[in-house]
Amino acid sequence: MFSVVRSEQRALRRRRAVRTLYGQHRFHRTPAGRAQRLLQQWLTPAQWKQFCSRGYFDVIGSHSARRYRIYRGTAMNVCLLDERGRVRRGLCFVPIYDLPAGDVMLAQKLALELCEDSALMVAREFIPRALY
Amino acid sequence: MAVQIVMDRAGDSRYPFDPASAAQVAEAELRFQQLTARGFTATARVAPGRVEIIRSFDPRVEEYVFFPRLVGG
Repeated sequence: MFSVVRSEQRALRRRRAVRTLYGQHRFHRTPAGRAQRLLQQWLTPAQWKQFCSRGYFDVIGSHSARRYRIYRGTAMNVCLLDERGRVRRGLCFVPIYDLPAGDVMLAQKLALELCEDSALMVAREFIPRALY
Repeated sequence: MAVQIVMDRAGDSRYPFDPASAAQVAEAELRFQQLTARGFTATARVAPGRVEIIRSFDPRVEEYVFFPRLVGG
């Protein structure tokens, strides 16, 4: 009796695991999934961990060494932080083409880490939402 | 195999090339020049967690990522 129940539970767990794997596989074949995978590959382990747990990751500007926070999104998702880690102001700059969110965030990260001045030159400021 | 990854609507397009093949390297160099002329920035990972802008084509780079020009939102 108990062995039958255990066997059914194992089968159920196996079916769920297969469904999850299949879902992940399908997601990684979509533009959003491909972009997210590229983002994962190019973020540092610490940035990826921060992104997964909090929905944003921090980068250091190449020229000023100031800290920026990139939130999950495709526009109005970059904020400049002060020394205490509080949001000072919002910066909006995006790739000229329509790209999935993962690509947009990766382009913003690379721009701030490699050519901060160029990114700031085109960026428009905005007042960050209370959430930020 | 090295690869050039170009961000696009589909997430990215990947163009692998063999650094040992002169023909493939020439093709990769041409792609590099065309993309940078269109405003793309070429970047590469040079060490774990360290990325750099690549100003001129280097066949020794194993993985390029090209991102488009940025504009104010």
